[in-house]
Amino acid sequence: MSEKKYTEEHEWVKLEGDTAIVGITDHAQESLGDIVFVDLPSIGKEVKAKEELCVIESVKAASDIYSPLDGEVLEVNENLSNDASIVNQDAENEGWIFKLKVSDISQVNNLMTLDQYKEFLDK
Amino acid sequence: MTEEALQNIYLNNFHKNNNAKFVPFAGYNMPINYKYGIINEHIHVRTHAGLFDVSHMGQILISLTSENILALEFYIPLDIKLLQFNKCHYSFILNSHGGVIDDIMVSKIKIEDEEYIYIVYNASRKKVLNEIFEKILFNYKIIQDRCLVALQGPDSFSVITSILNLSSSMKFLDVEILEYKNTKVFISRSGYTGEDGFEISILNNIAENFVQKIIKNENTILCGLGCRDSLRMEAGLSLYGNELSEEINPIQAGLSWALDKKRLNDKNLNCSHILSKEIDTSQSIKKIGLSPINKSMLRAQMTLHNKNNKEIGKITSGCYSPILKKSIAIGYINKTSDMSEKLYVNIRDKLEEIQIEKIPFVKKNYKKGD
Repeated sequence: MSEKKYTEEHEWVKLEGDTAIVGITDHAQESLGDIVFVDLPSIGKEVKAKEELCVIESVKAASDIYSPLDGEVLEVNENLSNDASIVNQDAENEGWIFKLKVSDISQVNNLMTLDQYKEFLDK
Repeated sequence: MTEEALQNIYLNNFHKNNNAKFVPFAGYNMPINYKYGIINEHIHVRTHAGLFDVSHMGQILISLTSENILALEFYIPLDIKLLQFNKCHYSFILNSHGGVIDDIMVSKIKIEDEEYIYIVYNASRKKVLNEIFEKILFNYKIIQDRCLVALQGPDSFSVITSILNLSSSMKFLDVEILEYKNTKVFISRSGYTGEDGFEISILNNIAENFVQKIIKNENTILCGLGCRDSLRMEAGLSLYGNELSEEINPIQAGLSWALDKKRLNDKNLNCSHILSKEIDTSQSIKKIGLSPINKSMLRAQMTLHNKNNKEIGKITSGCYSPILKKSIAIGYINKTSDMSEKLYVNIRDKLEEIQIEKIPFVKKNYKKGD
């Protein structure tokens, strides 16, 4: 299993073979506050990196979630339809949002490591 | 904000020390929530009590002279001369078209035998209103040396009476002027959450001491503007800038109950000719409550459509209701629309069916008289 990578849009990505598991970072859930609804993407949808894919609604506002990589949506976390607050409780594990079949694995090199993401947050 | 720096309210450091998260609101750096988060704060107010610092709001004390009464009655649709002392009233400052310059709380009070009109108004309207006040009033003081805090929730009375000697007969919208540490505290049994509660105007230099005492009570937590907004929406209360504006009159906003109908025939009310007509004829738009059929979130500015995709209205406020556990919204719809037909909302360029709901969404829990 590879280590997690991060985007400037505050998503995390974990690769398992050519499948990427994607969610929002703990920092993101903390600043969004109470999350009440995740508008999950449709399975089979094809996306490009940095394209808006779905929306996460907190009590405060709606925020776009971007696809970190080119690919096709394989699976979504249906548990979030019943209880979106899982993202608050465990953003970087149980609170994953969607899985992508990645079309160009080399794009992963464009993402940040944990240390780079921490540095990005401090800026 | 680029043009003007944000102002801090007097107890800013106190809120920081209590782990407030801040947001810019109407030019002020305001607590949006504390450590428990918006939903928990909301539920605590509905079940126990919450304390809000709303010191960003405007407060003015106006000498009760006949000149000032006449000047205020030009803008405010109340019979100010006949108002009882120690009662507060929800009302408006109206423009010449009947549009709302601001919604306000007005009361007549006595402080050491001097008689005053005391008005609380919106932070976002301070500039506009202070200009009007300066133009029309003599002998008044825009209050800068007082905080305004709101204690809200079913436990409010027991919490506040452990500190202040309120009379047990005090009802919703009653006002009392009490002594606390040799100063005058203005208290009204009112608020903006639909719950029983109190708004308390207290001198800056003793406010922290007072607030500390309140939150020491195990039934009270600090609450921010985040849950204040969802509480007022559940209670169906209007917010200036959302439901109310200079383009909307109180009748369209479903607030004609707050107008003194006799004043609508009084030429000394700048918009009486417009409102007296409006109250008899059908208005162009009306206020409605809404909720989604599925789990989507309704937000301000989303447009409302009929089955033919014609735009027939707009959402003015939308939020997640922690009590109903779904999204709720308030909006305006063209009066001519057929309410028996299906109604749709545009959410990110997709039309989704929604349903009309009664306002208030959650029953109000005021302390009314027997």
